[in-house]
Amino acid sequence: MCHPSVLARRGRRRGWLLLRNDECHGVRRMSPAIKAGHECWAYSDERLFDAYARKFIEVGLAAGELVWYVPSARTADPSVRGGAIRVIPFEEAYAGATVVDPATQVALYTAVTEDALAAGYTGFRVVADATPLVRTGEQREAFTRYEYVIGRYMRDNPMSAVCAFDRAELGERAVAELACLHETSHDAGVPFQLHPGPSSAEAVLDGELDMSAEELFAMALSRTDLDRAPGEVVVDAAGLRFIDHRSLLTLQRYAESQRTTAVLRTRLGAVSRLAGLLDLPRVRVEAAR
Amino acid sequence: MTRTGAAAGHLGYYHEAVCYDSDDDLLAVAVPFLLGGAEAGEPTIVALGERSAGVVRSALPGDAPVVFMSGGAMYARPAGAIRAYRKLLAEHVTAGAGQIRIIGELTTEMFGPAWDSWARYESAINHAYDEFPLWSMCAYDTRTMPPAVHEDVLRTHPRTAMPDGRHVPNETYVDPVSFLSDRRRPVPDPLQRGVPRADIDSPTLSDARQAVRDADGGRLAPDDVDDLVVAVSEAVANGHRHGRAPVRMRLWSGDDRIVVTVSDAGPGPKDPFAGLLPTGDGLDGGLGLWIAHQSCDHVVMYRDAGAFTIRLTAGR
Repeated sequence: MCHPSVLARRGRRRGWLLLRNDECHGVRRMSPAIKAGHECWAYSDERLFDAYARKFIEVGLAAGELVWYVPSARTADPSVRGGAIRVIPFEEAYAGATVVDPATQVALYTAVTEDALAAGYTGFRVVADATPLVRTGEQREAFTRYEYVIGRYMRDNPMSAVCAFDRAELGERAVAELACLHETSHDAGVPFQLHPGPSSAEAVLDGELDMSAEELFAMALSRTDLDRAPGEVVVDAAGLRFIDHRSLLTLQRYAESQRTTAVLRTRLGAVSRLAGLLDLPRVRVEAAR
Repeated sequence: MTRTGAAAGHLGYYHEAVCYDSDDDLLAVAVPFLLGGAEAGEPTIVALGERSAGVVRSALPGDAPVVFMSGGAMYARPAGAIRAYRKLLAEHVTAGAGQIRIIGELTTEMFGPAWDSWARYESAINHAYDEFPLWSMCAYDTRTMPPAVHEDVLRTHPRTAMPDGRHVPNETYVDPVSFLSDRRRPVPDPLQRGVPRADIDSPTLSDARQAVRDADGGRLAPDDVDDLVVAVSEAVANGHRHGRAPVRMRLWSGDDRIVVTVSDAGPGPKDPFAGLLPTGDGLDGGLGLWIAHQSCDHVVMYRDAGAFTIRLTAGR
């Protein structure tokens, strides 16, 4: 048993506040201690989520960020007052949409971030319970595509977010569909994270991929914007702990469907040997730098 | 294209043993076999160990068009050898070969605890190479071959090539489906006499992989540990997917190897070639056990006391 330690430090990117991941036996745990630019929090007990949201907000306030809190029916007012926190009604945060339009929503948060910087804040951080926008398959398809592209904006700009989802209402499968497209997730039951790289030709893949993730991985790939890349696509899997042959075949099928080649960059020598056994014409395994 | 020599008129794989007790006897079989192939313009290949290859090479004319391959590289693991040979044979057939001749041998270290897997290899290839016009001879030195190995050689090779030029059917030969369906419990690895380092009921795949990583004390090559992680993950996935609960994983580690068993209460795979050949294209399964066999130094699958067990060994 190892105990997660939470150490605040100045982030490596653009100087905004990040918290260090905890590790146990070298395995990155999807736990409350993980803080990142784009987090998913699946909750059953809203009190735990509210407590986490308060901490996340406090960190942002202490760092001089503009903070939005977008609660749903079940999540509470964070009871953090003063500073730059604004409690935003759900309809305002998502412009009244029932099915999110990724480009519109990214533009909205881009404008908020830029306005915050112009007003002297160090960045923008939002805690949003997006449960009302992901109840149906159609809603989730749109929202997962949005999650992926807003992840790239957060990667490159001083915006960070915790996206909360009510597990009791949505169910495990729906929550997993959403959670795996974040940089990190809490209590969402997903063994891997697929999140954006610096361009539409690059995705980042962390965690472990085995039969428990097979269908989810195929879905996750289809919700990225890798299909917009003109040439080869790169899957930066430097943080990948394991991938099985079925997931490699899933990647092969995805690349084939897009008539592209997926370059999988990993530190795991076994992946290269496995790909060699499988003769995958659309997947090239390279050593991660 | 017609076939030549003893295999003339034969369809598919013509598989022979050569059991010799002197270099002269080996040469009496190997030299005419190789020169006959070379004269017929057939791809003619030697995959013997270093010493035997040297003996054969010195008995052939210097300009004989015979290819010498490293037997050690071809025979690292049974499933790997089948894959490599099938690729090689397919390339020759695509290039127009009417027959391919190969003489190869297993090294004496394969006659030890891992022999069962090589006996299964020798049996399985009667089926695995049967789509190719292959005439091969598997050379065994009776001076170093244990009697039990000799028995298995005669049970897995349809015929024996004799020094006097005859090709004699082996009376004890059994077809591969029968031979491979016999999944007896193997001799336990000595490490298995001790208390397992890990003993996990219904392991998740992630738990199973972590148990292997935790067992590595840095004594095995990192690649071997990584490959064992792959093999164990596939074996546990196979147990959960195709076996019957409960799935149980046990692990023992020693100075030079890690031994893992994965058991379930099911009957195990029906396909006698499971593990040695892919049994599908991966879309509906069929590759997991084959990958496990490719990724370990020694794999045994057996039925015992109402359970199916796959034992995976990394290291020697």
